[in-house]
Amino acid sequence: MKLRHSALLLACILLGGCVTATVQEIRETDTAMAGGDAIVVLGRRSQPTADETELDFISCVAGNMSRGAEGFNVIDEQQFIDAVFPWFEPRIAPLNSADLPEIIKQPPLAERLERMRLKYLVWIEGSTERTDSSGSLTCAVAPGGGGCFGFLSWENDSSYEASIWDVDTGANAGRISSEATGMSYVPAVIVPIPIIARVRSSACSSLANQLKSFISPS
Amino acid sequence: MLLLFKDFFCYRENGDSFRSAADEAVGRPKFGFADALPLLFVLILSVGCAGAKVAVPTQFPVPLVEKVPLPVGLHLDEALLTYIHRESLEQRGDWEIELGAAQPAMFANLLEGMFAGHRLVERLDAKHPDIAGVLSPSIEEVQFATPEQSRSDYYEVWLRYRFKLHDNQGVELGGWDLTAYGKAHKQNHAGASSALQDAAMAACRDAMAFFTQQFTSVPVVQAWLAKESGAAA
Repeated sequence: MKLRHSALLLACILLGGCVTATVQEIRETDTAMAGGDAIVVLGRRSQPTADETELDFISCVAGNMSRGAEGFNVIDEQQFIDAVFPWFEPRIAPLNSADLPEIIKQPPLAERLERMRLKYLVWIEGSTERTDSSGSLTCAVAPGGGGCFGFLSWENDSSYEASIWDVDTGANAGRISSEATGMSYVPAVIVPIPIIARVRSSACSSLANQLKSFISPS
Repeated sequence: MLLLFKDFFCYRENGDSFRSAADEAVGRPKFGFADALPLLFVLILSVGCAGAKVAVPTQFPVPLVEKVPLPVGLHLDEALLTYIHRESLEQRGDWEIELGAAQPAMFANLLEGMFAGHRLVERLDAKHPDIAGVLSPSIEEVQFATPEQSRSDYYEVWLRYRFKLHDNQGVELGGWDLTAYGKAHKQNHAGASSALQDAAMAACRDAMAFFTQQFTSVPVVQAWLAKESGAAA
């Protein structure tokens, strides 16, 4: 039974749906990180209500940027927002890089940022949405067992943009956009077999990798 | 019904790993389809009329702002400390947001960051020579909206506070209103309770943030600050 479950899990992983990802970069100023410098990855949560980036996408990008031999010192988003409260609350947070110098010249905030050695702010906007779905799946259960029959498919589109702000100069260092599209399927003949396109994961890793090479080009 | 089965079987992305929606619902990794069905039906029947009962957490940050160089008092009355917003929504159950228990921590941290000193005062009409004035907040109105009501992806909470300022002789100088707003995206939360709690917390943080920005521009406060700085000189 354990072997059957493992085989099914392995099949699900191997049968991942196809994902097409594209990354574009626009550089406006040179960037570099010195030892001890830190960055923070923030999701845009402006008021009034607008599309918000998923919290787990922000933590995924931050996690990917901090991992590996060339990993950055990435400050946790919530820790940062609490440490500099109220300057990055939705009501007050700078909407564009031109607003940044005005905010970071506040003496207590400037001192805190200096102590954190914060070099870059990375703002992320965008989301993943299901753009299309079709098919149906029916399941039945009887005393002797159960089963499903049918076919489901859906398409997910991810579209994210990261803006990199230089905290020292208050300038917009550049922008990176990451787009990914993928189709997922669930065919079912007695047992449903999910073939999942990991669209958001793909957008996250490609955006994080591009951010790393953008901020610290080698 | 097909849609329900579809949701049941649609695996969802979760970082680097995938778990079925059914797995998440029951909280264990190995669970047969036949085992899950009765539980699924119970869940489906109960979700439609659940409502939620939440309390705002008591962890608030201390504002990082230039302090007003005066010590103040804080008066929190019983109505504020026990404030609970209750609302029944047609076909959507009973909803409750407990705000009162979080107010002492919220205002203690707010005043800690904003003033040279602060302490609680029991009576507004008493004289307090060791402080420059007394702030007394109250919650005048609370509203919330669920995604079903607003046809959006957000749980939203609005708060309206009323602040009164007394001088250190117990004389009321005036008051002003402060409205705050918080929202929480339903996709970031496992259920209505968690999202509503997050939205209420966001509204409290917004009230603190707005207070730090608004305080010195309120006319009654400006007059009080001018008088106190004149007295100090």
